[in-house]
Amino acid sequence: MGDRPAGVIGEKVERIGSRERLLGKASFAADIDLPEAVHLVAVRSERPHARIVGIDVSRAQHISECLRVFTAEDVPGRNRVGIIRKDQPLLADDKVRCIGDPVALVAAETLEAAREAAAAIRVEYEDISALFDPEEALRPGAPLVHADGNLLGRRTVKRGNPEAAFKHADVVVERVYTTAHLEHAYLEPDAGLGYMDGSTLVIHASTQNPHYDQKDVAELLGLDEGSVRIIQAATGGGFGSKLDLNVQGFVGLAAYLLNRPARMVYTREEAFLCTPKRHPLTIAYKSAANRDGRLLAADIRVVGDTGAYASYGPAVLNRVALHATGPYELPNLFVESVLAYTNNPTAGAMRGFGVPQIAFAHESQMDLLAAALGMSPLEIRLRNCYRIGSLTASGQELTGSVGIRATLDAVAPQYAAAVRERNGTVSGHIRRGVGIGSMMYGIGNTGQQNPATAHLELTLDGGVVLYSGAADVGQGSSTVLAQIAAAELGLQPEAIRTVIADTLLTTSAGATSASRQTYISGNAVLDAARKLKEVLLTEAADMLKFDRAKVILEHGSVRAVRDADRSVSFAEIARRCHKLGMPLKWQGFFDPDTTPLDLETGQGVPYATYAFATHVAEVSVDTLTGEVRCLRVVAAHDVGKAVNPQGVHGQICGGVAMGIGFALMEEFVPGQTESLKDYHIPSAADMPEVIPIIVEDPEPTGPFGAKGVGEPALVPTAPAILNAIADALGVRIYDLPAGLERVLQAALSARKP
Amino acid sequence: MPNDRDREIPESVTISFELNGKLVGLQVNAAETALSVLRDRLGLKGPKEGCGIGECGACTVLVDGLAVDACLLFAPQLDGRTVETVEGLADRETLNPLQQAFLSHDAVQCGYCTPGMLMSAKALLQGEAAPGRKAIVEALSGNLCRCTGYLQIIEAVEAAAAQECTGRDAKE
Ligand code: FES
Ligand code: FES
Repeated sequence: MGDRPAGVIGEKVERIGSRERLLGKASFAADIDLPEAVHLVAVRSERPHARIVGIDVSRAQHISECLRVFTAEDVPGRNRVGIIRKDQPLLADDKVRCIGDPVALVAAETLEAAREAAAAIRVEYEDISALFDPEEALRPGAPLVHADGNLLGRRTVKRGNPEAAFKHADVVVERVYTTAHLEHAYLEPDAGLGYMDGSTLVIHASTQNPHYDQKDVAELLGLDEGSVRIIQAATGGGFGSKLDLNVQGFVGLAAYLLNRPARMVYTREEAFLCTPKRHPLTIAYKSAANRDGRLLAADIRVVGDTGAYASYGPAVLNRVALHATGPYELPNLFVESVLAYTNNPTAGAMRGFGVPQIAFAHESQMDLLAAALGMSPLEIRLRNCYRIGSLTASGQELTGSVGIRATLDAVAPQYAAAVRERNGTVSGHIRRGVGIGSMMYGIGNTGQQNPATAHLELTLDGGVVLYSGAADVGQGSSTVLAQIAAAELGLQPEAIRTVIADTLLTTSAGATSASRQTYISGNAVLDAARKLKEVLLTEAADMLKFDRAKVILEHGSVRAVRDADRSVSFAEIARRCHKLGMPLKWQGFFDPDTTPLDLETGQGVPYATYAFATHVAEVSVDTLTGEVRCLRVVAAHDVGKAVNPQGVHGQICGGVAMGIGFALMEEFVPGQTESLKDYHIPSAADMPEVIPIIVEDPEPTGPFGAKGVGEPALVPTAPAILNAIADALGVRIYDLPAGLERVLQAALSARKP
Repeated sequence: MPNDRDREIPESVTISFELNGKLVGLQVNAAETALSVLRDRLGLKGPKEGCGIGECGACTVLVDGLAVDACLLFAPQLDGRTVETVEGLADRETLNPLQQAFLSHDAVQCGYCTPGMLMSAKALLQGEAAPGRKAIVEALSGNLCRCTGYLQIIEAVEAAAAQECTGRDAKE
């Protein structure tokens, strides 16, 4: 590393934004100084479910530096937010639905005064019986979290005749799996700053989706969209949480109504209390195979707790159902996933939208079936994995870029070596285990339009500016998009100037979610680049009096193929176009080819392309303490094409870390977990050796063949680790996280004769 | 915890210390944290607050060469010390070798942990001539990162350490 020349697609490139971060100069929202800004603190519910009888703000108003207390009545527009369903009040009106619900908002000259005033506000509640269990919430007669019922949604997927197939199967395995609430624990607590610029409300936000923020803030305030400008500040990770509004509505409300800049910075405790969590799921999974290991049927029923508000629950619901088989052919299938509202914290998007949870189940099942058949875990996966021509759970025929087999082949030698090593290492109470986890992941939103736009502008000095609404929250989309533009225009990525995620200057790229920006925004950028290239080539050919088919782009100029001296610079072309009144800014657009799903059978084309991956995990398990150490992870990912391989490695290593947390340590207990003190995420000391293997089965519709990797990086790790623990102990754990106690208990039961 | 210090009697103290090579002096509230003095009073936004309770390391600065959580330190404790923050690493815009190693190993994703990581790494490299991987992991284990999975950071520190070694050898 280190000395290869910076190149374009597939080459090492300096990540956009790293330099300023290394200098300590990147401005995260809390870093933006505006001395005249007022400070905001929310008053939050301590009750899980209660009617608001009254809010007494009189004592707060006597605090000298307290400027104003806002309640629901002060929200000038529609007091409801939510990306899929508008069911969440910015400030609670009639009732609170979970602990942490905002009831009032205090604006004060200092943070201390704002806190003091918030503490002085008295809210009178009348408790309503609260629900903490989704199954209970779905029982008839249960108290209602929302007036129209506690069912957030139900998705079914049906293929073939599972009942008949189960009868003819040689082995049937049926188990129940559970997972916990998880906290994203991005390192930057949510923060934002808002102010009026003339009649425009400007908000610097820590966000994954500025164009969505713009819409919801405008509607909250009763403004038109054009009067709200969202600028993404440097954002310290999101992982799905920052798809929902965090402080944008609050700073917008205060800045607009007070006509003064307003800032709000969550403490870590507040971020834990009131931002969305990963859905805890209960998964009843029954699957069957015949003697030679071919999967015949599955019956999968999932119930999940979506908490107080919808957030991204509907997306999780769909994704869980469609990914329930994993990357395997299953001709006979019944899947039902159901999410219910409760008075627990809202569960929303978290890296993978439910797929990490369901992958834990389908990969455990694969190992159980293999064991029942006396087959190796690798073999059963090879026999069932998708190939060209396979039909997915939704009946979609896979026609290209199906790299699951290639990822299995890629890890096979390491897997065999790990099994040999495990057999050779027996040392008392420390057991070694090896496990495999595979996955598929649909890129983009499920069965619905999710377009991206982008613009490329040629400036009069011959420079190229890329405009994209795609929020880069650390995953590196800006760099990848610049590489794609550069590759098409014969430039180095450094030569592209980027303007990113500012609703005034960029058009929507959709959310930074669903691992979609490389594929979807990448294609939009490519589309814009092709249009610009077309103009450059045509104009240059004319200027050079040369055959249009025989000129090429190179380093900011266009030249004759065989005659480097015959060339015109981008600047010359730009000036000529300008003189001719031709536009210099071109828009690109891409929307993946999908069809809506049948409501009853779940059949359709939900995604235009899928990423595939396989991880092999090696663990050691201390049977006396229950401590599991993940020693090595071999991670093979079919990303189509790695536009920025170093970035892909970074995603994989980060995904492995998060997977270790999910598998072994992380659990957010509503009402108990408060901060990083009692919610532990992996540190450097928890990291195994990671061997990333990039598999490139190019996606015909992807930009330069690329798909995506952000969420796939995480998905297979926990399944591989849990399979490795089962391999080490001979006893399986069905509930995540596999913390010390659960592992110890499993070890104890393994010791029993 | 600095968040709940509403009971304390504000008491003003004058302190002076060396900050990134320059002497600074100011009046602080005795209960103020070093982090808020650096960020809010002196305008150094490099050190970050990730938890405020000493769990994440985003606020790491060097005090007399040792890596400390600025969120746990009270401002008066800075008096008479030498304090270094991420802002002091580079020579204007020219990255120092450690920063350069982070850049070329792509050890920065969202970058929120980066200032703290750099300072912990710097403390290690100052104290130890040729730290092995184990020492590096240990030195960084108080700095949480949710994005990178640490490996590219560890490799960057290894590379910087190796470079420092060869640099020293060359001088000898
Ligand atoms: S902010 Fe100081 S350790 Fe987290
Ligand atoms: S790079 Fe995001 S927390 Fe480390």
